Amino acid sequence: MKPPGSPVEPSSPDPYSGLPKPARRDFLTLALGGGALALAGAVLYPIAAYLKPPEQAEVDVTSVKVGKIDQIAKDSGMIVRFGTKPVILIRSASGDFRAFSATCTHLDCTVQYQKSLGVIWCACHNGKYDLSGRNISGPPPRPLDEYRVIIQGEEVFISKKA
Amino acid sequence: MSDRLRRLYQWLDERITIGDLVQFMGKKYVPIHRHSIWYYFGGVTLFLFIIQVSTGILLLLYYKGSEQLAFESIQFIMSKVQFGWLIRSVHSWAANLFILSAVIHMFSVYFERAYHKPREVTWLTGMFMLLLGLAFGFSGYLLPWNELAFFATKVGTDIAGVLPFVGKPLMIFLRGGEEVTGATLSRFFGFHVAVFPGIFTTLLVIHLLLVQRQGMSEPPLSEGIGRERARMPFFPNFMLRDLLLWLIVLNVLAILAVFYPWELGRKADPFASAPAGIRPEWYFLFMFQSLKYLPSKVIFVDGEVLGIVLFAVAGVLWLLVPFLDAEKADGRTRRGVTYVGIGIIVYIITFTVLGWAS
Amino acid sequence: MGVVKFAASLTVCAVAIVALLIAPPALYGRDACLSCHQTLSDKPSALFAHDVHRLRGISCAGCHGGDPASDEMERAMSKEAGFIGVPKGDAISLMCASCHSDSARMHDLHSSLPTDQFGNLQQSVHGRLSLSGGERIVQCTTCHRAHGIAPVQDPSSPVGPLHIVATCSGCHSNAAFIRSYNPRLPVDQLDKYRTSVHGQKNAAGDAHVAECASCHGSHLILPAKDVRSRVYPTNLPGTCASCHSDRVRMKSYGIPTDQFAKYQKSVHGVALLEKGDLGAPACNGCHGNHGATPPGVASISKVCGTCHALNADLFSTSPHKRAFDQAGLPECETCHGNHDIAPPSSQMLGVGSDAVCVRCHSAGEDNGGYRTALIMRSLADSLIRAESSATERADEAEQKGMEISEAKFRLRDVRQAHMEARTMVHAFDAARYSAVVSKGLITAGTISQEATRMIQEYYFRRIGLGIATLIITLLAVSLYLYIRRLERAQRASRPATDEAHKE
Repeated sequence: MKPPGSPVEPSSPDPYSGLPKPARRDFLTLALGGGALALAGAVLYPIAAYLKPPEQAEVDVTSVKVGKIDQIAKDSGMIVRFGTKPVILIRSASGDFRAFSATCTHLDCTVQYQKSLGVIWCACHNGKYDLSGRNISGPPPRPLDEYRVIIQGEEVFISKKA
Repeated sequence: MSDRLRRLYQWLDERITIGDLVQFMGKKYVPIHRHSIWYYFGGVTLFLFIIQVSTGILLLLYYKGSEQLAFESIQFIMSKVQFGWLIRSVHSWAANLFILSAVIHMFSVYFERAYHKPREVTWLTGMFMLLLGLAFGFSGYLLPWNELAFFATKVGTDIAGVLPFVGKPLMIFLRGGEEVTGATLSRFFGFHVAVFPGIFTTLLVIHLLLVQRQGMSEPPLSEGIGRERARMPFFPNFMLRDLLLWLIVLNVLAILAVFYPWELGRKADPFASAPAGIRPEWYFLFMFQSLKYLPSKVIFVDGEVLGIVLFAVAGVLWLLVPFLDAEKADGRTRRGVTYVGIGIIVYIITFTVLGWAS
Repeated sequence: MGVVKFAASLTVCAVAIVALLIAPPALYGRDACLSCHQTLSDKPSALFAHDVHRLRGISCAGCHGGDPASDEMERAMSKEAGFIGVPKGDAISLMCASCHSDSARMHDLHSSLPTDQFGNLQQSVHGRLSLSGGERIVQCTTCHRAHGIAPVQDPSSPVGPLHIVATCSGCHSNAAFIRSYNPRLPVDQLDKYRTSVHGQKNAAGDAHVAECASCHGSHLILPAKDVRSRVYPTNLPGTCASCHSDRVRMKSYGIPTDQFAKYQKSVHGVALLEKGDLGAPACNGCHGNHGATPPGVASISKVCGTCHALNADLFSTSPHKRAFDQAGLPECETCHGNHDIAPPSSQMLGVGSDAVCVRCHSAGEDNGGYRTALIMRSLADSLIRAESSATERADEAEQKGMEISEAKFRLRDVRQAHMEARTMVHAFDAARYSAVVSKGLITAGTISQEATRMIQEYYFRRIGLGIATLIITLLAVSLYLYIRRLERAQRASRPATDEAHKE
């Protein structure tokens, strides 16, 4: 005669006979339960972190947010990181925005906005570009590539060239 | 706690009558004998498949399947997505372990003659799943669109194109054109995440249902195991042991992912020449190496074509083993079948090592 | 007897006819036009008497038509005789070309002159239409004159080396005239030319130095902006070299002939001739065009400074300026060379054997130059080292899958500091140089730090693995113990059933 409640008996009328029964709440079962919970955490935490979109939401940078319009002074220029490349954003005295690649076409130095001369200037070898990106003086052989500036509400965005 | 479980069980039972199912499952036994260890490999393969599906789905959230972005998207996953490195490396390692485990499972079934009646269909579904597994591996390998993968795919589809009559159309179908291009990538991506999983799941369900219905096969009497019929219940004993093994496999995967992260290499450039040392993944290596040893022409047939046809024929024979080696009336096994199996294993290992060393 | 006489007279006639046919044209018919017009003492006939065409036996009728044998004016200058009067406009050049472009005719006249002049003229800038629109700007006679044409080698020829400058400047120094065609075209070429070595020697009677046609060509003159022009920037060095690389030609002037060869290998030559960068100077970029002179010792940095402005300004305020001027050393050229300017390298700076500083500075001196050179070179080297180690570290971190794009972006700034330092060398001031270099060193240091941090994070992952392994191991051990306990319980509760199942 088999002891009742034995988990092995196939012909017992107990409908729960097939299920494993936790025998007693002791250290082992606690360890088991705790361990299972910890494992669940150790598996779910990385997955949850993975699911959260990273800072740079997409693999290919197609547009970058610069900031609010009123935070960018008139007649000024700033360098913005666009993926791996620098882009210079210029706000003219009249308030218009233009953006160009900030990599000088001569030897790849980073250009800057020269307020006094009203040109884009490269400090390395005195190259100058006008505010349409055209190379007007010095060694640069080619103009600067232009980027699109998009104003959405209060925000300024730079996106890939037109 | 168990009270709550009982109440849940009752709730379900009142609606879908799971009582007899539970009873039936409670009656499942797993024989215990010298060769019981092999029983675990089916479960390990299943576990690895589950890992593949889960990590695959996660990767799918960030992977971009175009020529321009595939490589960069994996770089992105590896460097910018939190734990992306882990998910990706686990996926790559689990793929290889899956194939290994499936092959071990297959050979253990072969040697135990577990394909005998009534389990012929189980064998067939298993073989097709293995084939799909190889197809998963081949299609997935291209998805990072790196140098090695590009050329490996080129060589692989070239070989497919060598088949008589169907070769060329097959190659164009696989490549989505004459050459390996972004079209190939799209196609392989579609196969890898939709077509193959669908077919595989269907086969898997059939396979598992059959195993559940028919129970575990027991080794042939002629193996001299004795008349003992020790056994353990599937639920909970075998299942818990299975889980234990799965935990260990999970740990192994994590260790591999951290200490041997999967490389990305260089982005594929269709116009560059193939780098040195192009070879397929290890599970194709023995075939690849064998083809190299065939002479370029055998009588009037192209050496490569002969090789591929031979492999195809061998594959078909292997597939039909349950019918070729039907159980004898006295239950004794055919020695020849064992020797053929050992021969094949030796051949595969030798040529894999040769392929690796060259 | 009669037969012999007949034969003899026939022979005499034949000989006479043959003689007449092959006799020099000078003996063949009179030039009645010339003799008549000479009595009128008009300029054309006076000039034509010495004309090379006349000396070759071509009469006035050769160009004007008419009958040169007839003394009768009506007959000689009749339309029936082919007289065309004074050709005007394009008809002039067409008339010249009717012989000069016909190689068969030129051969008959025993001339070895080329026959492409008219074709070239038509394609040249001079072949364009004049203001009136009815003819070309220049006809043959514009430069060669109409009558009294002398061969080019003749010293009196207006297109010979000694007089061509005056011929060309007849139009090209006329501001009002040139302005009507191209207001932007300068008209001071002659003045500038006369200040140059070429111009001075030419004025003194040297027919071998360069004059207008030497560089611009004679008939196929194209604007300097035309890529086919001999003075287009990419063609110009070759044009200058056609004389200046000729050892034999330059022997009497005692100047070297290796400039072009050196230039071709130089950074300017490669930029212009191989890369097609029109910003790079050709010979005229430094020497000038018409006033071509090698730049003076004190002015070289100004010439170089038209492009290399920052370097020139720094040099001019540096201690080297006065020192070089006093020593009569040409400024930029002393260190960089003139024609064989190589791309600058760190090797040039410092006190090593390849450095240019030690050509003048030595260890024991008291003007601090040696020390400055030493300091600058070691700073430059340290910046290069810092840049490469920062790049290496960043790459390693990236390879390990760490997010390091921000730091990599800032590597550009290190490169920029490197570039700016190269320019700052020309101040020859250790303090200013150090300021520029430190910017780069600081940035490189930050990048290295960031990369190292990322690499440590990578190894830190192993700790995460360790924790996971711990959890799994604990769970696995618990599970194993649980199974063992379960099975023990099972075995304990069914020894009988085991027997029942055994067969």
